[in-house]
Amino acid sequence: MPVFKTPFNGYSVKFSPFYESRLAVGTAQNFGILGNGRVHILDLPPTPSSPFVEVASFDTADGVYDVAWSESHDSLLVAALADGSLKIYDLSLPPTSNPIRSLQEHSREVQSVDYNPVRRDSFVSSSWDDSIKLWTLDRPASIRSFQEHAYCVYAAVWNPRHADVFASASGDCTLRVWDVREPGSTMVVAAHEFEILSCDWNKYDDCVIATASVDKSVRVWDIRTYRTPLAVLNGHGYAARKVKFSPHNRSFLVSCSYDMTVCAWDYMVEDARIGQYGHHTEFAVGLDMSVLVEGLIASTGWDELVYVWQYGTDPRAP
Amino acid sequence: MATPPNPTDGNPPTPATQPTQPTNQDQQDSKVEAPSQTSPTSVFVNSEPMREEQVQNAVKFLSHPKVRGSPVIYRRSFLEKKGLTKEEIDEAFKRVPDPPPSATNVNQDAQVKPSSSSQPQAVVQTLQPAAAAPPGTISSMRSRFHWSHAVFAIGLLAVSGAGTAVLIKKSIVPRLKTWIRKVVLEEEDDIVKKIDSKPSLAEEAAAAAKAAAAAAADVAKASQEMLNSKNEERRRFEEFTNLLDVQVREMKSMTNAIRKLEGQSNTQGRASFVDQEDHGIAISNSKQMYVNNKVDYDLRSVRSSSPPTSAEPSVAPHPKSYMDIMAMIQRGERPPNIRDINDQPPNPNQQPSNPRLAPRAKPWELSQAHNSSQPLQSQVSSEGLNSKVQDNGVTYQLNGDSSVPWWQQKNVKITEIENGDELKAGIYGQRFSEPPVQPPVQRSWVPPQPPPVAMPEAAEAIRRPKPAVQREQLVDDQSVTNPSDVTDELLRVTKISESGGAMEVNGGSLVLNSSVEINGGSSVLNSSEIQEDHSYEQSVHST
Repeated sequence: MPVFKTPFNGYSVKFSPFYESRLAVGTAQNFGILGNGRVHILDLPPTPSSPFVEVASFDTADGVYDVAWSESHDSLLVAALADGSLKIYDLSLPPTSNPIRSLQEHSREVQSVDYNPVRRDSFVSSSWDDSIKLWTLDRPASIRSFQEHAYCVYAAVWNPRHADVFASASGDCTLRVWDVREPGSTMVVAAHEFEILSCDWNKYDDCVIATASVDKSVRVWDIRTYRTPLAVLNGHGYAARKVKFSPHNRSFLVSCSYDMTVCAWDYMVEDARIGQYGHHTEFAVGLDMSVLVEGLIASTGWDELVYVWQYGTDPRAP
Repeated sequence: MATPPNPTDGNPPTPATQPTQPTNQDQQDSKVEAPSQTSPTSVFVNSEPMREEQVQNAVKFLSHPKVRGSPVIYRRSFLEKKGLTKEEIDEAFKRVPDPPPSATNVNQDAQVKPSSSSQPQAVVQTLQPAAAAPPGTISSMRSRFHWSHAVFAIGLLAVSGAGTAVLIKKSIVPRLKTWIRKVVLEEEDDIVKKIDSKPSLAEEAAAAAKAAAAAAADVAKASQEMLNSKNEERRRFEEFTNLLDVQVREMKSMTNAIRKLEGQSNTQGRASFVDQEDHGIAISNSKQMYVNNKVDYDLRSVRSSSPPTSAEPSVAPHPKSYMDIMAMIQRGERPPNIRDINDQPPNPNQQPSNPRLAPRAKPWELSQAHNSSQPLQSQVSSEGLNSKVQDNGVTYQLNGDSSVPWWQQKNVKITEIENGDELKAGIYGQRFSEPPVQPPVQRSWVPPQPPPVAMPEAAEAIRRPKPAVQREQLVDDQSVTNPSDVTDELLRVTKISESGGAMEVNGGSLVLNSSVEINGGSSVLNSSEIQEDHSYEQSVHST
C-alpha cells in the first residue's frame, strides 16, 4: 500500500469526488501549534508498491487544519487555516495564480470545512470562535453566520440527502442540527459529557448521525430519538478524533483516535468493532473514505504519513 | 456572542434554491411522524412536548444568586448540556421570578413582558400602579417588611421591659439596702477610732526607733552574705567553664581521629551539631524533596496511565517534540523553522476555471441495490478517467472492465471474505442480499435536488451504459400494492425508463422528482413515455 511522507504534521485527508485516484492532504508545521502549512494533492500510483505521485502543493502562512474538494468543479478545493482564513485553490490554473480566494472572516482557527454534496454550490466552515459560516464560491463574504455554540466548533457536516441541513459538533459538548432556512439551530443534542471532536451523517439513513468525543467513545444517534444513542462504540484508548460513515454501506463507519489507531465499526452488530489498524506512530488525526471506490480508506496523522488502503488489507503491506 | 444569529446578517439563499423549497416542504410534510410542527423540516426538529420537571429544575438553577452573575450564554450552555430543549430553556428564562438588585437586562425584560402567570407582578400592579415595575416591587416589599418588623419589635420591647422590671426587683433593691446599712455602720466606727488613737503616739515613736536600728543591722548582714555568695558562684562558674573546655577539646580530638580513620567528607554534618548548621541543611533537603514531588506530579499529569476502558478522558501522551514546542512557545520563543510566506491570492478576482467533469452521482443517491451500482460505477469511473488520462500524464491500464486498478480489486476480496468470515458478513450480507427486515417506510427519502448539469453532453455520455440486470429483478420482485409509496413510484418510473431504453441512474432520480412535482399520484404509470421525457428536459433546464 502506498505511503506518503509529508514534511509537516498531517491534519486532514480527503478523496476527490471526481477522480478516484486523487486526494488532498492538509498539513501544519510544529503539530499545528505555530508555523506554516501545506496542502498536497496526491495521485494514487499505478501499483500499490510505488509511491504516491504529488501533483501539486501549496504553501500557506499558517497551518492547514482541513481541506474540502468542491462538488461542482473538479479542480477546486478549499483549505481551512489556523489563522482563521479559508483559501480556495484551482488546480487547473498554474501555481502562481493560486490561491484564487482568501476568505478572512473567522476570528480564530478554522477547524473544519465541508462542501454541500446535494446543492454542490456552498460550503460551511466551523471555527474556534464558536461560529459556523456558510459560503458560496462566487461571493467574497459569507452568506450566513451561525453563532450558538458556547465553545469551539470542531466540525460542521452537511446532510447527504437534505440540501439545507447540516450538523455541528462542539467543545461545549453538544451536537446541533441546523437548517439554513431557519434562524437558529433546530435541534440540540447533549451527546457527550465531554468535548465532541467530530460528527458525520449516515449516508443511507438521513436521521442517523455519529459523534466522536474526548471521552474515547463514538456514539451513533437517531435524531428522532435523540435522548439515548443507538450505539455506543467503545474501543479507543484515547480521544476519538474523527468519524466517517461509509458512502457505500449503511452500518459501516471508521474512526481515528489519539491512540494512533483507525478503527472500523459496524454499529448494527453486537460486537461492533470489526477492524483496527495501528499503522500510525503518532496521533491519527485525518480520515476519509472514498465516495467513488468502495472500501478505500485514507488516513494521516502527526507522524507525517499518509496511508491509503482497502478495508480488510494491511495499510503497511508493501 | 450571546445574541442569536440574525437572518438579516447576510443575503438570503441564492435564488436558484427558492423554487425548489415549496417542493421540499410538500415532500417533507408527507413524512411527518410526530405531531406536526410549524417548521417544514419536521424530522430535524425536536417534537417532544416541554417537560415541566426539567423547566422547574432550570428555574431553580437560574434563580440561584451565583448563577445570576454569570453570562447568559454560559447558563444556556449548562442547560443544554443537561439535555433541555430550546423551548424548555426559553420557558425557564421567562419564568425566573424576581429581578436581582443588580439585574441583567434579560431578567428585567422578562419581568416586564406580559406574563400574567407570575404572582409578584400582580401584587406590584395592585400596590403601585403608577410607578415603574422594578422599583414598585422593591418598595412594596419594603412596606410589607416594615409592618411585620414593627410588630416584632414591639413584642421584643415588651418582653425586655418585663424582664428588666423583674431583675430590678430581685437584685438591685437588696443591694441598695445593704449599701445603706454599710454607710451607717462606717460612720459609727470612725467616731470610735478617732478617740483611741491620740495617747499612744510617744510610745509608738520609741518602739519604731528601736525597730529601725535592728532592721539596719539585719540589712547589713544580708548584704554581706550576698557578696560572699556571689564570689562563690563566680568561682564555681569558672570551674565549670574550665571543665567544659576540657571536654570540648577532648571531643575535637576525637572527631579528628575519626575523620582520619574514615576519611569521609560528610562528617561536616556531625561536626555541625555544635554549629547549629544542620537545621539549615534539613530545611534545604526538605525543600528539594518537595520540588521533586511537584515535578513528578507534573509529569504524571501529562503521561497519565489510567486504564483505557474507563469513560473518564485521560490526556493522551503527546510526543516529546510537541512538549518541546509548547514549552518554547510558553517561554515566548518562536520555533526557528517558520518561514514568512505570502499566501494571499495574487488576483482576488480570479475566475475559477471551467469544470471539465460533470458532478457524479453519489452511491447513496442510486437505486436500492448497491451491488448494481458497483459495476456501474466502475464503468462510469473508467470513462471519466479515460478522458483525463492524457492530461494527467499518468497512464493507467483501463480497458473497459477487464483490468481494474489495484485499489478496486476489493470485489474479489469481498466474495472471499463473505464466504469465509462470519463477522464481516454483517456488512456485506446487507449488500448482496435483499434487506429482509427493513420495511419500505425507511426507504422513503427526499430525493436530492438535481445537480446543475454544467455539461449536458457529458451527462448524455454517462447515461448511455445500460442499467444492470439486477435492477430488473428488483422491479419484478416488488409488488405494486401501495400506490402512494414513493419507493414504488420510483420503481415504476424506472420500469418506464428502462422500457424507454435511455435512462441513467441519475436520470431515474430526476424523473421521480418531476413526477412528484406533477401529480404525486399513481397516475404516473399511465402517462406516456414522451411526457416523462419532456418533464425531464424541463427540470434540467430549470436548474
